[in-house]
Parts: sequence; C-alpha cells; structure tokens
Amino acid sequence: MNPLRRGVRNAFRNTMRSVGVVVILAVAIALSISMLIARSAVESKISSVRSSSGTTITVSPAGAFGFAGNGTPLKAAKVNALLNLKNVVSLQESLSEQLSSTKTSLTAPSFGGAAGGTTGGFGGSGTFTPSIRVIGTNDPGNAVVGGFNGGGTEKLTSGTAFSPTSSADVAVIGNTLATDNKLKVGSTFTADGKTITVVGIYTSGSTFADSDVLMPLATLQTLASASGEVSTAIVTVNNIDNVSSVTTAIESALGSKATVTSTEATVASELAPLNSVKTITTYTLVGSVIGAALILLLSMLMIVRERRREIGVLKALGAPNRSIIGQFIAESTTFTVLGAVVGLVGGILLSSPIASALVSATSNSTTSTGGFVRGGPGGFRGGGSGFTPPSGGGAPFAGRTGLHFGGFSNTLETLHTSVGWSTLAFCFLFAIVIAALGSSVATGTIVRIRPAEVLRSE
Amino acid sequence: MLKVQSLDKTFHTGAGEVHAVSDVSFNAEDGEMVAIIGASGSGKSTLLALLGLLDSPDRGSIEIDGVELANLDSGGRTKYRSRQVGFVFQQFNLIPNLSAKENILLALEYAHWPNAERDTRADEMLAMVGLTADKGERRPAKLSGGEQQRVAIARAFAARPQLILADEPTGSLDKSTGQKIVELLRNAATSQRATVLVVTHDEKVAKQADRRLEIEDGVLREIA
Repeated sequence: MNPLRRGVRNAFRNTMRSVGVVVILAVAIALSISMLIARSAVESKISSVRSSSGTTITVSPAGAFGFAGNGTPLKAAKVNALLNLKNVVSLQESLSEQLSSTKTSLTAPSFGGAAGGTTGGFGGSGTFTPSIRVIGTNDPGNAVVGGFNGGGTEKLTSGTAFSPTSSADVAVIGNTLATDNKLKVGSTFTADGKTITVVGIYTSGSTFADSDVLMPLATLQTLASASGEVSTAIVTVNNIDNVSSVTTAIESALGSKATVTSTEATVASELAPLNSVKTITTYTLVGSVIGAALILLLSMLMIVRERRREIGVLKALGAPNRSIIGQFIAESTTFTVLGAVVGLVGGILLSSPIASALVSATSNSTTSTGGFVRGGPGGFRGGGSGFTPPSGGGAPFAGRTGLHFGGFSNTLETLHTSVGWSTLAFCFLFAIVIAALGSSVATGTIVRIRPAEVLRSE
Repeated sequence: MLKVQSLDKTFHTGAGEVHAVSDVSFNAEDGEMVAIIGASGSGKSTLLALLGLLDSPDRGSIEIDGVELANLDSGGRTKYRSRQVGFVFQQFNLIPNLSAKENILLALEYAHWPNAERDTRADEMLAMVGLTADKGERRPAKLSGGEQQRVAIARAFAARPQLILADEPTGSLDKSTGQKIVELLRNAATSQRATVLVVTHDEKVAKQADRRLEIEDGVLREIA
C-alpha cells in the first residue's frame, strides 16, 4: 500500500470528523462557485449592455433638456465636422419642432385623464392636447423620437421610410396621429403652408409616441426656417473604450454652446448595481477560498498534532519525509475533492438564486430612479429603438438599440447563470489550491517532528 | 557486529547541562542479545535513540560491520533506519488503521524490499511470531497486548536488520506474556543473526540476555 492509498484511507479514519470537514469545505466551495458563476453572469451582462448601448454620444444645445428643446440650436456645419473626429463612425442629426394647430392641418390627438405619470409631468385631469412634434432626421432608421413620449418599440405598419438625404416634402407619421386625422400612405397634410405626403405609418404601442411626425432633416429645416440648424446630434464611436476621449473632443470642438452626454455615462450609472454585485461576488469568492483553505489548514494541523507519535514511529521505521508528507497531502486532497464535489453541486444550484437576490437587493437599494427610468406617460424616453419594417416590404429602419429606458432596470435584473468547463476547471484548480494551502503548514510541522523526542515521551 | 566508541550526548536545559550519555563504548556480536538496564532517567532511552540514529551524538562513533554511522546526514540516517535497524517499543506503536500484516508490509516498503517478495515475507514473519493469517488481517485494536507486541517484533525483524533496539518490550505486558516475548526476541536474534539490544529495568528480562550492561547517569558498565 503506497502513501497515497494510506492517505486516502486515513481520510476516513475518524468518520465524524471527516464528515464535518467535508461539509464545511463543501459549504465554502459551494459559496465560492456560486459567486464565481454569479460574477461571470454579471460580467457577461455588463459587457453585453456596454457593448450594445455604450458607444453613442448625444450632443444637444446647452440648456436644452426635456420638453421643448430650448437653448440655441446647434450649427449643422459645426456638428458635421464631428464626423472628422478620430474614432467617430457615424453622425445622426435631428431637428425637433412643435407644430401648433394654427400651422398645420393636422389635429393633435387628445389624451384623457391625468397625463403626469411617474415622473410627474403635466398632472391634472381633463383633456390634454399637446402640440404635434415634428422630428427631422438624416437617419430615419435611427430616428430619435425622444422627448416626453411614453416609449415603445416603433415599427412601420405600412409604407416606407424616406431616404436619409431626402429633402422631399414627405413624412412618416405615428399611427395615432394617422387614425385621428384619417390619414394613410399617400395622404397629404399641410405644415407651415407646405403640402406633405405621408409615405409611411408606424406604431410603437404607445399613444404618445404614435403622435409624432418624422420628416427628412432638410425638409424640416426649410419648413421651420432653421436652415443649418440641428437640435440634437448623436455621434457613434467605434469602440466603447474611445467614448470618453471622443466626448472630450466634442466638448472641446463645440465649447459651452453644447451639452455633450455620452450613453456610457448613463449606462455606467445604470450598471452601478451590477458593478456592486460584481465587487461583492469577487470579495466573497476570495473570502470563501481563503476560508476553505483555513478550515483545511486547521483541520490538517489538528490531525498532524494528534498523530505526532505515529509520525515519529513512521520516521523511526525509516519513512522519508516525502512519503509522510505525501500521505497527509493525499488525506487533505481527499477531503477537498469530496468537499469540491458536494460544493460544485450546491454551488450550481445556489448560483442563480444568489445572483438574482444580490442584483435585486442592490438594484432596490441604489436605483431610486425607477419611476423616471421606466417613464410612464409624462416621463422621458431616451430614444427610439428604430422601426421594425412591416411584413411584406418597405425599407427597413435599421433600428438603433437606444437606451431602452423603459424596462431597462428590469433587463439588468435578468441574469442568466451558466456552468461551463471553465467553472469545472476552476473547481478543480480551487480544490488543488485549497489542498496545497491546507497542507502547507501541516507539512512544515511534519518535517520538524523529531522521532527521538516523540518516542522519548513514551 | 556493532561497535560503539566514546559516545557522548549532552542536553542543554534551563537548569543547566545534562550528560545523558557519557563516553559510552561497547561491542555486540551478530545474533547476540544484550540487555541494558538502568533506572528511569539514567540515559538508556537516549542511548537507544543514538544507536537507532533517531538522534545525533555530540561525539563518538557507531559502526555496524565497519561502516561508520554517527556522521551520516539526514537522508543517510533514514536509509540506515529503514534497512539496518528494527524498533520494538513498550507501547507497541503499531499504526492503528492498518492490519497486523500491513504494519509489517510498511517496514518492508520503507526498506525497499522487492515488491514481489513482500507478501511472502510478511506471512513468514507472522508465522515466526506465532500469529495466524487470520490474526494478520486484524487491526491492532482487535489484538491482545501480547499479540500486538508480536506484530511489533515481526515488523522490527521483517527487513532483516542487523540491529534490533527494544525499549522496555515487556513493560506493558503481564509476566507470562512478557516472558514469551523475551523468548521470541531471543530466538529471533539467533535465527535472524541480528544484534538485539533490550533496554529494561526488569532484572528477570535482563538475565535472559547474553550480556548485561548497566547505565547510570549516562555512564555504561558491564555487569556480571
């Protein structure tokens, strides 16, 4: 019987103690594995959110935020120059105008009841009839319909979109506006004295969002006598790592006349709960590894102390230190492997509920903007998600991912944990590290045991 | 042949120096059984530890068949113990979770006895000390004190060492069993051609040895 077999056999010498050590190790290992899985899921989610949402920068006139725009419109020439900045891949410009009933043949939809919603807003009861908002854009596929609509996912229900460089008197209008004004594709309406042809109708599932008009940027600039002006520009950067430097470059280029907001910053604040969870899981992971190693270390020390005489006898019989050490390492490895097997199962079972609980708890404690973010009627919506084309044809609107403020927090809380080979490899590595750390001090003690002293005390 | 010359060992304690073994010299032939008697604290266990290379002497030499052992390094001492020395302890000191036979096999493993011969040798040793194969499969806790000491003797002689060091081998046994154990040691010494040094404070045990040495305050002298 070689030292390894003796070591494995020794692990079961004291059943109660062995079970105790294995159970404690299993708990520590289960905790660390569940933390590892949760951390991996959180990292994946952060990466996913950042890569999908974090490469755009919004440029708006200084002081313009929210309802009516305000501020001095940006000069298109200066905004266009942003395309020349390093790492900028695209530029979306838009102009937003309010059409009062005196300037258009369109009738704005009425909204009954309180229009406030979660962020306050208009409040009150009765009938609320807002102006019609017209958005001119050079990128209809990525149209920013933002403002104070309720949000939603727009898709074309009929017709087509206009081309980005168009200056034709055409428009894509929301479904509510079309229904209230009995308009369909091919119909016309007037705006600022011009006849505009409806080329497409979209729906977003939100009455507010379905009350807007989208036009080519050049058309609206002419209509609103705002030639060379834009109210919003969205700059897309090639890599999330360059967002910060491009933001600085834009601020430098436009000076105090523009407010520059990167989605990275917004996303970063939204991701704060997930980052907290990541930190918690990292510390817990390290703590549980250290804890497990400490448990094994103390157990092995206790066992070595208990078997001092036996070690002395083995040395007297001519056992080399390496043989005795190998025997004890085999024993501690047996404890660890058993603990790792039980812990792996426990960790896999616990990872999902632990991750959800951590994200939920952290989100609840840090995301106080829930009402604002989820924006019911009256709340801000950060951006449209682009049109999904109707079945059967029509130019597809590519669809900007946007921030999807509505329901964004809910998305963050939905984590998908998974166990891959890396987890199993970690478990194996973890067991080896714990066994090695746990045996290290015991090994030193074994080497120092002098058989003469042990046997003299007989 | 064991040849010990001018062996010294001094312990430094808080109360001062203790000369545990002082200028000890003696010879012992192969197959000879030598009893070392002495009161508690006289230095007999220290002498045994020095001869078994469990401890290093401050001075002096220990030779077996002309090979100097006192100056061996740690690895050399371990090798020497595994092949040339067998220990028999008062408390038997068998490994509790190994069977009697496995305890014997352990000594053969450390002595690098050929794998194929270990099992046969262990059976031979069990037979030599009068234990059946059935007893050989039992763990020490399932054996009587006398049987455990028999296993310890079998383990000590298994690798054909030249020197057997027995420290109070009958100390934990009744008179009758103790007598049988001494006879066993005596016979094994003869049959295995090993030098057996028995440390005891029991005069009856000492009288069965070929020679008797007495140690007092670390000084060894031969007695009639």
